[in-house]
Amino acid sequence: MKYVTIINDKTFEINIEPDGSLTVNGEKREVDFRGLGPSMYSILAQNISHELTIEQRDGEIEVLMRGRLYTSRVLDERALLMAQRSGGLAAESGELNIKSPMPGLIVAVRVESGQEIKAGDTIIILESMKMQNELKAPRDGVVGTVHVQPGQTVEQNKVLVTIG
Amino acid sequence: MAKRKATIDVNEPSQRTIKKILIANRGEIAVRVIRACRDLGIDTVAVYSEADRKSLHVRYADEAIFIGQPAPRESYLVAEKIIAAAKKTGADAIHPGYGFLSERSFFSQMCADEGIIFIGPGPHAIDTMGDKQTARETVKKAGVPVVPGTEPGMRDEDILRIAPTFGFPVLVKATAGGGGKGMRAVYEEKDLAEAIAGARREAESAFGNGDVYVEKLLVGARHIEFQVLADMHGNTIHLGERECSIQRRHQKLVEEAPSVVLDQDPELRRRMGEMAVKAAQSVGYVNAGTIECLVDKDKNFYFLEMNTRLQVEHPVTELVTGLDLVKEQIRIARGRRMGPTQSVLEPKGWAIECRVNAEDPYSNFMPSTGKITTLNVPSGPGVRVDSGVYAGYEISPYYDSMISKLICWGEDRGEAILRMRRALEEYTIMGVKHNIPFHQNLMRSFSFLAGKFDTKWVEEHFSMDTYEEAPSDEELETAAIAATLFAHRQKQLASQVVSKGARDTSNWKWVGRWERMHR
Repeated sequence: MKYVTIINDKTFEINIEPDGSLTVNGEKREVDFRGLGPSMYSILAQNISHELTIEQRDGEIEVLMRGRLYTSRVLDERALLMAQRSGGLAAESGELNIKSPMPGLIVAVRVESGQEIKAGDTIIILESMKMQNELKAPRDGVVGTVHVQPGQTVEQNKVLVTIG
Repeated sequence: MAKRKATIDVNEPSQRTIKKILIANRGEIAVRVIRACRDLGIDTVAVYSEADRKSLHVRYADEAIFIGQPAPRESYLVAEKIIAAAKKTGADAIHPGYGFLSERSFFSQMCADEGIIFIGPGPHAIDTMGDKQTARETVKKAGVPVVPGTEPGMRDEDILRIAPTFGFPVLVKATAGGGGKGMRAVYEEKDLAEAIAGARREAESAFGNGDVYVEKLLVGARHIEFQVLADMHGNTIHLGERECSIQRRHQKLVEEAPSVVLDQDPELRRRMGEMAVKAAQSVGYVNAGTIECLVDKDKNFYFLEMNTRLQVEHPVTELVTGLDLVKEQIRIARGRRMGPTQSVLEPKGWAIECRVNAEDPYSNFMPSTGKITTLNVPSGPGVRVDSGVYAGYEISPYYDSMISKLICWGEDRGEAILRMRRALEEYTIMGVKHNIPFHQNLMRSFSFLAGKFDTKWVEEHFSMDTYEEAPSDEELETAAIAATLFAHRQKQLASQVVSKGARDTSNWKWVGRWERMHR
């Protein structure tokens, strides 16, 4: 099976043969990968031992190794083909919804419809867990619809602002 | 000033009996207190809101009483419900932990009125220290240095005359102030009059009260606090200091004991410790408390405030003194003499605490809610974890974001830091974002290693980018291989399930037939 794995913006072509042998970008690797229980794995890669916690979340695979969290996407041939057709692996344009990361109270809305914004601009201030949190624009764009107003309480994952 | 220390008749048995303690708190501190009770063979009662039915403190306690809706004002802050729970279960004493009702004098008074022992100071001490201005005046009378400032209600010409004697820069503050409104830093005398007028206008429009005062602005100050302990037999001592300058938006993130500053200056420790004991005595303090101070770069120290309760960061003091502060609190509340008899001038070794919060350091410390899916807690020599969570625990938005405290001890600061790095690497928390990466970067930063920082350092000079170590190519490849094998197995598992019906009978029968065929 052929896979393309993207991790920290780096791409690896990994091939797993039916007999379990494995190549990375065409080079053979000695890998012993064992499950230890829920989410826990042990890997010996060229004799280097690592303990890992691996979980799938929102279509991505999170790997925690030596206190560092890696977020990766593993694409098989079919997924790769589909991704190439839709033009690129990451969507850099199109509509983007800014969602509430947690339930809370909208303290302030810093943007209005039609306004041009830059990545990093504060869009909304949300109060939760006794703290005020700034929600920032992940990329440049123009504000489409503002769905909330100050004083409103919102549930988790509520769409707050749409960026065009 | 007359000593107003509470005294007890040690022959009065009702004062000395504590067989069951209700813990009026939740999270890690409730668990911490329950552990001390267990050590002492005292029964425990937990109280819990609807959000906490499955929390650790409920599971660890002998009894648990439901006290209402998740919002603290419906549950953990309702004194009547707590008192009713204590009466229902026959608890003789209440431990308030920190936060919630711990520094409400009316609650301490209510306990006294109901004949329940409040494990903490009496209402008078809480009241006096609770009001910043009263606290300032009280400790000043006892000869404790406070940040130089003018008194509230002064006229402009008096302020203009007195303020320059503090030395510049100074801070103009609104008496009714908050959130930085009506606050102005002034660096030269010529700008003072203008700043006062401006602050008055701003305070008038924001709070309807134009009263302002001027305080010396301490540049490069560190937050250093002293743990004090006092019993009802007239003994008041201190247990050394804690350095708490690593903070963000006035929220402490890392604490250590001792402080680098006082470690190099035992004479300063002696003087500050004396001051802390004096400040506690000035209000007739009984039980454990903390005197918070600011120390400027010229090593002048000033009383900031007193916390009349157990602190979040008390474990670092425990590790360098060998004491169990909660046990001492209970012992004192029982009317006995406290264990230690002398102030601690030479702490043993070094302890550092990292507060593990459900906050994402990569996106402006945004709190994170959700379920902890995997949890592996570090252990081994010199490592202590005070935690209130478990794998499967749901972090709710109702309470603060602290998940646990990781505390490491070493013979010296270097060893403590190295152990902390190791323990942070072992700590596995999945499912929610947390600030362990912040602590890892902090433990690598040169300023922290050198002990050179003040209370503004994290906010003004620390960046996650500076000390972020990029993973090696080998590590990145290993992670990629692991992710791929994980996905591969899941896919195979999925296809196995789909093709399950292909074989018309169970695997056991199939194997049996196969074996018969090959016999």
